[in-house]
Amino acid sequence: MPISPLQPFFSAKGWQPFEFQEKTWQAYREGKSGLLHAPTGLGKTLAVYLGPLAEGMESMDRKGGCQVLWLTPLRALAADTLRALREPLASLAPHLEAEARTGDTPAALRARLRKKLPHTLVTTPESLSLMLTHADFSEKLGGLRCVIVDEWHELLGSKRGVQTELCLARLRAWFPGLRIWGLSATLGNLSEARHALLGSAFPGSVEITADLYKPLVIETLIPKEIDRFPWSGHIGTRLASQVADEIEKANATLIFTNTRSQTEIWFQELSTLRPRWKGKIAMHHGSLDRAERDLAEQGLRDGSLKCVVATSSLDLGVDFSPVDQVIQIGSPKGVARLLQRAGRSGHQPGGISRIVGVPTHAMELVEFSAARDAAVARTIESRSPVKKPLDLLAQHLITCAIGVPFEPAAMRREIESTYAFFELSDPEWDWALGFISNGGKVLAAYPNYQKAQLVDGSYCVTEKRLITRHRLSIGTISSDPAVSIKFANGRSLGTVEESFISRIRVGSSFVFGGKQLTLIRFHQRTATVKVAARAGKGQVAVWGGSKMPLSNELSHAIARRLQGLGEPALEMAAIEPILAIQRRWSRVPDDAALLVEHSRSREGEHLFFYPLAGRLVHEGLAALLAFRLSRDTGETIQTTQNDYGFSLTAKRGLVLDEEILRGHLRAEDLLSDLISCMNTAELARRQFREIARVSGLILQTPPGQKDRSEREVQASASLLFEVLDRYDPDNLLLVQARREILEKQLELTRLSQVMHRLQDAPLHLVETENLSPMAFPLWADRLSATLSAGDAATRLEAMLQRLNAVADHQKTAL
Amino acid sequence: MNPFPEFPALTLLPEGAVFLRETATLIVADVHLGKSASFRARGLPVPEGDSARDFLRLKDLAIKHQAAQLLVAGDLFHAASGLTAELKEALAGFLQTLGVPVILVLGNHDAKIRQLPLACVPHLDLEGGLRVIHDPAEASGSALHLAGHLHPVVKVPDGLRTSLHLPCFLFRGRTMVLPAFGSFTGGAVVTAAPGDRIFTALRDQVVELPPALLTRPGGSRGGRAPR
Repeated sequence: MPISPLQPFFSAKGWQPFEFQEKTWQAYREGKSGLLHAPTGLGKTLAVYLGPLAEGMESMDRKGGCQVLWLTPLRALAADTLRALREPLASLAPHLEAEARTGDTPAALRARLRKKLPHTLVTTPESLSLMLTHADFSEKLGGLRCVIVDEWHELLGSKRGVQTELCLARLRAWFPGLRIWGLSATLGNLSEARHALLGSAFPGSVEITADLYKPLVIETLIPKEIDRFPWSGHIGTRLASQVADEIEKANATLIFTNTRSQTEIWFQELSTLRPRWKGKIAMHHGSLDRAERDLAEQGLRDGSLKCVVATSSLDLGVDFSPVDQVIQIGSPKGVARLLQRAGRSGHQPGGISRIVGVPTHAMELVEFSAARDAAVARTIESRSPVKKPLDLLAQHLITCAIGVPFEPAAMRREIESTYAFFELSDPEWDWALGFISNGGKVLAAYPNYQKAQLVDGSYCVTEKRLITRHRLSIGTISSDPAVSIKFANGRSLGTVEESFISRIRVGSSFVFGGKQLTLIRFHQRTATVKVAARAGKGQVAVWGGSKMPLSNELSHAIARRLQGLGEPALEMAAIEPILAIQRRWSRVPDDAALLVEHSRSREGEHLFFYPLAGRLVHEGLAALLAFRLSRDTGETIQTTQNDYGFSLTAKRGLVLDEEILRGHLRAEDLLSDLISCMNTAELARRQFREIARVSGLILQTPPGQKDRSEREVQASASLLFEVLDRYDPDNLLLVQARREILEKQLELTRLSQVMHRLQDAPLHLVETENLSPMAFPLWADRLSATLSAGDAATRLEAMLQRLNAVADHQKTAL
Repeated sequence: MNPFPEFPALTLLPEGAVFLRETATLIVADVHLGKSASFRARGLPVPEGDSARDFLRLKDLAIKHQAAQLLVAGDLFHAASGLTAELKEALAGFLQTLGVPVILVLGNHDAKIRQLPLACVPHLDLEGGLRVIHDPAEASGSALHLAGHLHPVVKVPDGLRTSLHLPCFLFRGRTMVLPAFGSFTGGAVVTAAPGDRIFTALRDQVVELPPALLTRPGGSRGGRAPR
């Protein structure tokens, strides 16, 4: 391809285009769509952007209108992206404009963008959806040539990905020649990712790989005294002083933790260890106020900060050149995540990405060494695209109907052009149309209901109140009710989950944003605080968040390490004394066979299983075995699980031979047994919150703006779930809730694969005198164990009985 | 069960109602008839069925106890938009088959409806010093009050990671607050203050929950109140 129009830009910079950049321009020029995967910081922005830009320069006679849409998964990235796009624009085509429109965009700019769109518009999937509700949007887009979806791997695998697919289908229908380009980090299923992005435009598309890898170094901090190193836990500040030494050595360090509370704890710990770092060390997590986060990001960019402790909130995109070291506290749980985080360092030309793993318990030494193996072998996790989320379909249909009335047959073709919905069935389509309009035949239990109207064969929404309400509810990410934390003078510190703050009494203190705070008042989603008078150890704010299970790929790499395979590694040498104990008292588990340990304690009997398949799968397996065993014995069984295995505890009845164990591990009846034992009704009810929001069953009210007129139509998700379950049990949203909960809570697909593997694997049943090093964490976790529970009445009865028993006991004691 | 020695004829029913044996009076609160219809009227797809079910439950309860009258302690209806022609018709049918007088103590939701299809009073004094009101805040004097409005739900932590949420009777001061009777009504978790008594249905009877069960230290983790 002639890159002549772009030459001035490269010459001015003294750069040579990379091969993958030229390839991308060439493919773009040929009218192709595609997916580009390249590590960050290697010019992938220029690769996808300069093609459409060159085209725009050549046809300068064209009148206005937006020609390039740039979708970014994070609002926070929009500003950085805009900066990166304006650079070539300024030197090559100063007459062309680029702007960003996200939820953070000031009202004035938003109003201006409503009138006229710039040549390049940076936006998020949610904002794009919102723009689809404006009747003149297609006109404003004018000669749209190209949509670029940044960080597609982040969207893929979530409903936001499907929202993107649906929006792209709409744009493809408006602009048949549209080219779509995605940018992605390495994934195990790149071809599927491309298919999901492009839908029916997939044939003829290309996949371009930037075969350039920054040198990557993965190291681990080895605890000095392995004998005293904990076998379990997750806080792991034991290595804090070693971490401080590492920070000392580097220029600027980015510390990643896995949870927001861990971020707070590590920030506290490092501030205490090195008081002179005050002002040179900051914290970054999703609950902190935007301004605080901006300060931390700015400090990283200009090199004024020595260290920032962060959660996944800093995983993405942003380019922090001064950072030359990344520290990962605790297991990264996945290979892709480790690579992504390592890639945050070494942004300087010729730089090396360096990541230092800090184990929080002994087994994480194995995890880091396994993660290195998998990273070298490039065994990266896949992300499965979400299929047929009908809640989102309902939302999208209303979005479209508000914008431009749609004719159902044409709309169905458009919806089916996406990867998510290409297998949409007639009943599902009819249901969706009924759900958004007047109930229809399939929804007979909905008299007098109407949302969209069918006028002259097209669906439209005209009622103003419905339109306003829908615009408020666009988006798919659901969150727990958040409480904002503010000082009395109104300065905002950030947000915290309601469940945490409601446990703090007025007058007592807690740690948030690195500050010791005292709660003054908690009223209507605002917690007013002041700085605590006395410094002391307060409760650290805990956020819901989900604990990530160990990925399949990393689990396999760990199993290989435990089998003794692979190059010698420092981590394995360090943990050897513990593995030796495990070997002496029992065996070292791996995934070729199933190790089961049986043990007795004062509490009764314990069985420990080690399938090495990740926490969620173990949770499902534990519940399943407890259910099957107690069906035979009638004993109450308590279960715990972690990423390596699970335990069953009962007063008696766990002395089993191999044959009985095998019988309980069979894969048949898996689904029906799981549904019986997992209290799926309760779980599905919880999952329904998101579905109810997305599908428009629950009204969205921004905090502090309770519309009184909407109050009489407020209902909780669980109540709606009950009502639907009772009067419209075939409602497809309920089906979706059940399916989502099995996949999300139990990784059903993976669980069933593991079941089939275990069925045929050799089984080693070992009687242990003492709890083995791998059994200990499972035993120690028993305080937060789950009991196989009955219905509400049974549980209440049991509680009353326990209480009476205690009272009787006390009486006799007197 | 009867928590009040001074009112031997008063019974708390596990269905969430109060029964006065001497006068065969059945009392319920917060039925919120037509709630799903008012959702649909606003373009929210919630299925019909709750009102029909509540009529049926009320009728069964009245027959079971041979009630001579039915009192509703407020919020029989949800909103004007839910009071459809179908609901009015169903109500007329219900009143006819029930065959006993129904008296509505006006609730805040009822008050917003211009033409109620039913006689109503602001409050009601019964024999023996019992007064029926809607909002417990309106209780005054030393009389024993029966009220609704709060939709009380009690949260019982099980000491592990979960807790039970159960509709309950809340006795606070001199007022017994009834749980919401309607099938499509949410609940509000009540925090028991010292001196409060809480009763809930356990299978086919009503039991009083011992305070120790409600304030388990550290047991409140994890559960979330329904809104």
